[in-house]
Amino acid sequence: MTRYVMVADLQLCVGCQTCTAACKSANSTLPGVQWRRVMDIEVGEYPDVQRVFLPTGCQHCADAPCETVCPTKATYTRDDGIVMIDYDRCIGCAYCAVACPYDARYKVEEKRFAYGDEPMPHEEQSYNDNIIGVSQKCNFCVDVIDAGLAQGLTPGVDPDATPACVNSCISGALIFGDRDDPESPASRALEKSESFRMHEDAGTDPGFYYIWSNKAEETV
Amino acid sequence: MTEVRDVPTYCYNCVAGPDLMKVRVKDGVAIEVKPNCDADGIHPANGKVCVKAYGLIQKAYNPSRIRTPMKRSNPKKGRHEDPGFVPISWDQALEEITEKMRAVREQGLQDEAGLPRLAVSFGHGGTPSSYMGTLPAFLSSWGGPIDFSFGSGQGVGCTHSEHLYGEYWHRGFTVCADTVNTNYVLSFGANLDASGGPCATWRHAEARARGAKRVQIEPHLSVTGGASAQWVPIKPKTDMAFMFGMINVLLFEHTRDELDIPFLRDSTASPYLVGPQGHYLRDPESGKPLVWDTVRDTAVAHDTPDIVPALDGSFRVLQTQERGPDEDRYDYDEVEGRTAFSLMADVMAEYTPEWAQSMCDVPAATIREIANEFLDNACIGETVEVDGDTLPFRPVAVVLGKTVSNGWGAYQCCWGRTMLAVLVGALEVPGGTLGTTTRLNKPLGDRIASCTPGDDGFMATPLNPTGKDTWEKHPSGRNAHKSLIPIVGSGPWSQALGPSHLAWMFLEGAPEGWERPSYPDIWIIYRSNPGISFWELDTVVATAAKMPFTVAFAYTIDETNYMADYLLPDAPDLESTQLIRIGGTKFVEQIWDHEGLALRQPIVEPQGDSRDMTWIATELAKRTGLMEPYYKAINRGAGGVPLKGDGFDYSLDPSCEHSVDEVWDAACKAGSTAYSKGEVTHDLDWFKEHGFYTIPYKREDWYLYPTMRGHGLRFELPYQERLTRSGQELGRRLHEKGVNWWDSQLKEYQAIPHWHDVPALYEEELERSGGKSEDYPFWGITAKSAQYAAGNNVTIQLMNEVGSNVRGHGSVIMNAGVAKRLGIDTGDMVEVSSTTGVTRGRAEPVQGIRPDTICMVGQFDHWATPYAKELGFPSLNTLTPMSLELTDATGSGADLVRVSVRAVGAKA
Repeated sequence: MTRYVMVADLQLCVGCQTCTAACKSANSTLPGVQWRRVMDIEVGEYPDVQRVFLPTGCQHCADAPCETVCPTKATYTRDDGIVMIDYDRCIGCAYCAVACPYDARYKVEEKRFAYGDEPMPHEEQSYNDNIIGVSQKCNFCVDVIDAGLAQGLTPGVDPDATPACVNSCISGALIFGDRDDPESPASRALEKSESFRMHEDAGTDPGFYYIWSNKAEETV
Repeated sequence: MTEVRDVPTYCYNCVAGPDLMKVRVKDGVAIEVKPNCDADGIHPANGKVCVKAYGLIQKAYNPSRIRTPMKRSNPKKGRHEDPGFVPISWDQALEEITEKMRAVREQGLQDEAGLPRLAVSFGHGGTPSSYMGTLPAFLSSWGGPIDFSFGSGQGVGCTHSEHLYGEYWHRGFTVCADTVNTNYVLSFGANLDASGGPCATWRHAEARARGAKRVQIEPHLSVTGGASAQWVPIKPKTDMAFMFGMINVLLFEHTRDELDIPFLRDSTASPYLVGPQGHYLRDPESGKPLVWDTVRDTAVAHDTPDIVPALDGSFRVLQTQERGPDEDRYDYDEVEGRTAFSLMADVMAEYTPEWAQSMCDVPAATIREIANEFLDNACIGETVEVDGDTLPFRPVAVVLGKTVSNGWGAYQCCWGRTMLAVLVGALEVPGGTLGTTTRLNKPLGDRIASCTPGDDGFMATPLNPTGKDTWEKHPSGRNAHKSLIPIVGSGPWSQALGPSHLAWMFLEGAPEGWERPSYPDIWIIYRSNPGISFWELDTVVATAAKMPFTVAFAYTIDETNYMADYLLPDAPDLESTQLIRIGGTKFVEQIWDHEGLALRQPIVEPQGDSRDMTWIATELAKRTGLMEPYYKAINRGAGGVPLKGDGFDYSLDPSCEHSVDEVWDAACKAGSTAYSKGEVTHDLDWFKEHGFYTIPYKREDWYLYPTMRGHGLRFELPYQERLTRSGQELGRRLHEKGVNWWDSQLKEYQAIPHWHDVPALYEEELERSGGKSEDYPFWGITAKSAQYAAGNNVTIQLMNEVGSNVRGHGSVIMNAGVAKRLGIDTGDMVEVSSTTGVTRGRAEPVQGIRPDTICMVGQFDHWATPYAKELGFPSLNTLTPMSLELTDATGSGADLVRVSVRAVGAKA
């Protein structure tokens, strides 16, 4: 089996939002829609304070609450673990957005552009009326993955088969790959690290891991 | 049929570039920015670009762009005068501008006061040169002095003192850690993860992944602090106390042999003997400085073979002399000389960690712990092989950020940082503290070649003359850099690195005994907005309004070009052609294992009637009657590479006009032929397809130490004999001219720096400007942002959108406990005031800032720039005064001001 997962190494992320911008560039999301974003969280009290930069977005849960509540089966999970939305089936009820513990879904009610009502040429070319009034979220750049696979490329290894956020990351914090392949970059990174998944106790089995520490050498 | 192409180009929007990227073009429309994976293993960040590059498509298609030449219709200029810009043709614009240029040239290139009639201002850190095509060739063809005094941020917004002292001591115009090899980095406010571009971010992340530790010492927990192992909140502008405390620990809480004795003894001026007048004791005949040879037990010239100089102590020296300012001689039959190292230790003795705690508000135990970690990690005695050479391995480094490395106190901090490296032998060796480029010494950008033998066993570094007959009594530029700043030199970048705010200040009124400069007849601005990026913005804008004839290359209307007479829309990043050099060692952490060339090419058609800068420069040259010298300048390399070299000649015929593509085709062929030593010749079409061409760059050339060693040179530390002498001469010249207003700056010329209570200077300035300490209880500071390095990108909606995820974006960052005490909640509108100005923004109370500090990220407060003026973001620049009293001896100031804060409205 294949299960594509994202890994974010919190030791490396600097919160620069390059992934956020690259995602918006690659997926032509409308202003305010961020399928990938990095949260900037303070922990502690002065003077013992840290900042944690936490990349987030759809966690591609194996037991996705958004899929469970979807009344039209618009949300579905591919065999490779990627949670998808069929815009043609989505009725925009937003149950999924409410059910998602990760605040990962967006819904845009009317078209809008970076500088108002008039689209710039690239916005005009990439604008898709199907996304208005329906739920949308990260799909791990599924088109790139599929196109790459068709060329015999490996997601997470070959840039032409890898999500834009991972390709763009300037600190090497974002890692992608098949969790069921022990040799994938994601599996190898997790093997040597201590990690967690967000709201794991909710039983959603997220496909997004957060590395917070390297394992002690003797346990690797 | 749909056509999709990925087109290679580069991004050099901030000083941390250039970085390589590709832009996906679909049916002629740019739709996506991507890394250039072809550069994997060549570019230090493997062909990745930072967040700013992703805004370049919006930059191209931004509806607020100036799309045609414009002419001012309202002769009155000012913030409250609508300029009434009206569209005109390129032909009209160029003809009217060059008519003025021709008329000015007929009067002479300098005015009655001897000042250049043409002034030109460029923006951020020299990066405009990677976008201005052949404009430098036009400026060269001008054939005489041009005034680059009117800076847009240098001296107030750069790491100014680091540029000057770093280059002086180790060719470190910018200074960084050898991040690839280091294990321990002390960062005094260097916000590298926000401003270091992908190369710094990538390398520091790799360093963390292999266990390197970075300690961030700064008043506000920056992005970089957030990604560091430890944050140490320090009182603003007291970093020198921390560093002196560390030096004290190394000198007095450890035995000498725990330091790098061979490095100190043989590679620095530590053993040089200093006489009672404070100058080196010299051999009367040769004039060479003396050291005490422990083998012969006598004083000998520093370069005597087979000696073991004493590092510590005082020694009786016979038949010697000191040479002071203006060749003053002090001859001795017998005199006591003390080593420079001992004199340094004498000064540092009182700066214990406990003393430092009282000054910088960091616990002495923390300072001591960090000093000991620094020493523990220095691996003194270890070596490493680099390119077949055995070099010291010292994996500890100290880096400085803005405000630490400019303005008062920066001399002490730059010295302290470099001395920390010197004490453990970690200067310019693998793992240590490195310079990355040169801008004041020739050849520009080649630090290895610029390292040549000079006087006294040190590198040759020309200072601006201060002798009785050589000092420039009447300034040749409006910021008087040659007259006031010996260390800035007189190279191509020196004027821009002079005291740039003095040019602005002196136009409004020169101090006593100083000639008030004239306004330049013509002022050209390119990729620069000093009306936002300088200080005391209302004053700068008012001065800009008085410029008699201003030509601005304009992307949008902004706060400076609002005062222009003509706006010329050049085709920016994705719309024009230029070949630049990449790799080797450049600014910040652009240190590569390769070097070569990269092409910027038109990825989309120029928008509106914007034109390629090379076309514009060619038209200016042609219409001004300067075509021949213009093309000759291009042939010499003013376009980036010389067109003629060993075994090749792609020179352009100066007698006829050449197209943009012809110019860059010749550059591509010449550059690739030169780099490959004739093995390949790549034309413009090849570069358009492949984007870049590189050859290997020697790893050993990352380090200056091997070159210094090869020349038998010593780093000019710890004792600043030459600079002090220069300052003494400068003082005499100024006093002879009746100038006393630079006396405070003259006091900064100390051979060994002492503690300087810089915070007190700001308190004094507050009182001088009519304020009371109790009314302005906070330190106002700024920080850089990954999305907006300098004032760049402010019109880009994408930058604001993604920047909104970053804590403090567009806000007034203040300590949460203080905010609670003042009744200020997150999102409340607050007003921050100094005695200079007032700015407003939304409050963002956080834990990660000192209670006495307010931080505002980036440079905003726009009132003319589209989109940015709607943001309502605050800016420290509005509050910071231009003040002679707050100007240090290098001519720089710091982004620091005493402020008050009050709530003026609830959350919207």
